[in-house]
Amino acid sequence: MNSAQPPFVVMMVIIPLLTSFLIPILGHWRKDWCFPLVPGAVLISLLCALRTMVALYREGPVRYFFGGWYPPWGIIYEIDYLNGFISVLICFLFLLSAVSSKKSIEKELPFKEVPFYALFLLLFTGLLGIVLTGDIFNLYVFLEVASLTAYALIAMGKGDAMYSSFRYLIMGTVGASLYLLGVGYIYIATGSLNMGDLSRLLPDLFQSKAVLIGFAFVLLGLALKMALFPMHIWLPDAYAAAPSAVSAVIGPIMTKVMVYVLIRMLFTVFGFGYADKIINATGLMTWFGTAAIVFGSLSALTQNDFKKMLGYILVAEIGYIVGGIGVANTDAVTGALFHLLNDALMIASMFLTAMMVNYQAGDQNVDPFIGLFKKMPLTAVILTIGALAIIGVPPTCGFFSKWYLLMGGIRAGEWGFVAALLMSTLINVALFFRILDKAVFIHSRSPGSGSLEFGGGSEVKEAPWSMMIPGITLAAAILSAGIFNQTIIHNIIRFALPLEFQ
Amino acid sequence: MEYRPLIAILIPAFVSILVLFSGRRPNIREAWTLSGSLLLFFIVLSLNYHVVENGPIRIDLFDLLEGVRFGFRIDGVGLVFATTSSSLWILVSLYSIGYMRSLHEHAQTRYYACFAVAIAGAVGIAFSGNLVTFFLFYELLTLSTYPLVAHEESPEAISAGHKYLAYLLGGGLFFLLGILLTYGLTRTTDFNPAGIFKLVPVAVHHKIFPIIFFCFLLGFVKAAWIPFHSWLPSAMVAPTPVSALLHAVAVVKAGVFGMIRIVCYIFGIDAVQMLGIGWILAGIAAFTVITANLYAIGQINLKRMLAYSTINQLSFILLGTAVLTPMAITGSILHIAFHGYMKITLFLCAGAITVIAGKKEIREIQGVGRVMPLTMSAFVIGALGMCGAPPAAGFISKWHIALGSIQSGYWIFLMIIFMGSLLDVVYFFPVIRTAFFEKIPVDEIPFKDVEKKVPLVIQPETRVETQKPIYLFMIIPILLTAIFSIVLCLFPNLFLIYELTQTAVDEIFGG
Repeated sequence: MNSAQPPFVVMMVIIPLLTSFLIPILGHWRKDWCFPLVPGAVLISLLCALRTMVALYREGPVRYFFGGWYPPWGIIYEIDYLNGFISVLICFLFLLSAVSSKKSIEKELPFKEVPFYALFLLLFTGLLGIVLTGDIFNLYVFLEVASLTAYALIAMGKGDAMYSSFRYLIMGTVGASLYLLGVGYIYIATGSLNMGDLSRLLPDLFQSKAVLIGFAFVLLGLALKMALFPMHIWLPDAYAAAPSAVSAVIGPIMTKVMVYVLIRMLFTVFGFGYADKIINATGLMTWFGTAAIVFGSLSALTQNDFKKMLGYILVAEIGYIVGGIGVANTDAVTGALFHLLNDALMIASMFLTAMMVNYQAGDQNVDPFIGLFKKMPLTAVILTIGALAIIGVPPTCGFFSKWYLLMGGIRAGEWGFVAALLMSTLINVALFFRILDKAVFIHSRSPGSGSLEFGGGSEVKEAPWSMMIPGITLAAAILSAGIFNQTIIHNIIRFALPLEFQ
Repeated sequence: MEYRPLIAILIPAFVSILVLFSGRRPNIREAWTLSGSLLLFFIVLSLNYHVVENGPIRIDLFDLLEGVRFGFRIDGVGLVFATTSSSLWILVSLYSIGYMRSLHEHAQTRYYACFAVAIAGAVGIAFSGNLVTFFLFYELLTLSTYPLVAHEESPEAISAGHKYLAYLLGGGLFFLLGILLTYGLTRTTDFNPAGIFKLVPVAVHHKIFPIIFFCFLLGFVKAAWIPFHSWLPSAMVAPTPVSALLHAVAVVKAGVFGMIRIVCYIFGIDAVQMLGIGWILAGIAAFTVITANLYAIGQINLKRMLAYSTINQLSFILLGTAVLTPMAITGSILHIAFHGYMKITLFLCAGAITVIAGKKEIREIQGVGRVMPLTMSAFVIGALGMCGAPPAAGFISKWHIALGSIQSGYWIFLMIIFMGSLLDVVYFFPVIRTAFFEKIPVDEIPFKDVEKKVPLVIQPETRVETQKPIYLFMIIPILLTAIFSIVLCLFPNLFLIYELTQTAVDEIFGG
């Protein structure tokens, strides 16, 4: 039976895991051999993920039974359209950031490359494991793997990174513990930990208080982990304090994976009907989503630091997705899932430009964004495309997910959510044009017109190609996800929706 | 499939890229702009012939959303707008060369590149086949004109730019909301000469329709109706060719063009009449016509006065649309083109006066008519057109709007048109009087060479406007636009504008 199992599913996780253990050993002798292993391992995972997608198209959901043990006793990896496309997304973004991190790490964390790469791959393993597994306790294990590495990676940063990371650690651990507690309740009530199994067992137990409490704990724990307002306070500080290469990978992916877990719990384990009809958790989610959008956008306005501002934008974007799921109709949930993809791309491009700018001009005393179009034109173009996507200007992908979210909000009559979405669009305009203004208009800022002396020295050059290529790839991905949104929605996202919405 | 419309949109887009890459060589850069604009104009002209003979062209490329394709509909109204934009682009480009080089403006490459993108946006708007495609180009136009408005980069210019963005993108959100509501009701956003709301039982949703209409109205703040107009006078800090772009070539025209699309092609004449929405639009337009004129009378800065005059003329177009009779809509569509030619004449004159004579305020321009006779004569023609007097083209379009309001039987519209035109006289003629008949004060040396900042002692009779070859780049476009303003009155069918308008009106009322 083992021989018939698709090996590429498990290789996706095993290869980076083993490589991450290999790196410290190898780094003991030859430091410069460590780096090539990282993109190599991620690339293999990406290929495996794509191969899984192909298998998914051909034969339907792909299953891998660990040790040949069948559920409900064994651990199973089960890949359907939802986690299939998210695993491809994770591999893709990790590959880009692995390539781009090299120079940045050499500059920001000298002599710490080896632990960084080991942790980086471990984080990758953890996040992929969360997405692929079909077992809610196994999910907890990977959750801890990913979280612990994230704490360590963030603590590598300068300044108050230690403190921010510690705060994140406390809150993250509380979140994970709540999740575990919830899993415990569910296990007591059902006697099973397998997702597919649970989805069969739970409907009979929907009246049980234990299941309700388990559900509430899981939801609360995940809300803490994904930084849903008002449990977001750890996020902006932690992401801003982290080294550039770390925030470039944690920023877009970490919270999205938590959102994925939420979706998985709602859609697969409990079934959407439970959250929507029986206890109406979705109404609550819409309200929290709306509050997150309003609060996140307004807080972002008050920030001067680019990365911190991105952190608050991320809080608002989580509000988009959670609110969209809460609205609970086909359009809104499609929008939420599509926004999951788009937001990962947009935030990734933003943190990447932050890294590029920081790498090239970060050690200067003046604002590195002044005159960016003159100093680093390609970086500035990537920044502009990312900014337009976050604002939601067509034809970037941000517009189309917003369209679906708004459409869903209008159909459901959730006018608060619609108003919050529109308002945050306008605030995003203010946020990004504040930066783009600095990047374009240098004339008034420099006493000798046209010269860059005032704006931070014209010796600043374009970022190295190892960062530029991932940046251009992301910008192209943002544009093509927008233009070909119908292809993505009809071929992937429509199948990832829960059955009642298809 | 017809490829010309796509090429027409891509030409300015390519021009902007070429301009960016030839920033080091100004002459080649300007050559790209000029040749691109000429090519665009000829393609649009050939489309004019095609559409007059064979009717509207539809092009659908790929799905943007379910039931919404990235599609184009090239019809009479759209081509009138495209013809105006593309022909004026040639003239404004010529003028820009003179203006920008005389003033040694900074960042000229950015200027020409953004200008080309704005034209791509305008042509895209003109050819769009549904609201989503329209919205895409509408936002492109807003974003690409922002660096132009803030071109000076002074604190004042940047704050004007911010105001511009806030109004237009804020309006854009309402536009988006309107599109969403429309799409939610009908599952389509395609422009249809009979309107698309007839697919929905009107009685059921009658409360939602005024809301949708208001969303669109707020969405088209580019039409600068009062009280959402103040971005337009603020944007006057931009260089004059940019003002010409805003007022004549693309931006505000996109607003009124959008309103015509909404009234005629989304709601449909019948639905608008049945719902009584026309009265909302007519009320706003009438209020704006009168108020904008009162504002204009109080202005001391020439360009700001012209800005308020634009606000007033745009509302004439809105009023003509709101009257909902074939004649009035003919007048509205014609006025999009004719007002473009006349207003650009006025702006180019104002810019030339600023550059060559160094004057910005109305009371300073005493005697300018004597040293810049060509410029000021062109100004007179433009001013006549604004007042709706022959032999300028404004007469034809205002005549149609007036006839249309008689057709509708509501004489109040006619009153407002007369009032508005009379008030136009009140503020345009003092400018002409000051320029031609007032003496230059003897104690101050009248004209300075702005470029060298050296006072020049010149006789009042010297013609400064032809003193330098570079000035000819400004004077020739001014003369051309003035000549066109007259020719269009005598031959309104130049470039087939009148026939295109007829085909549009026929399809709106025939269907």
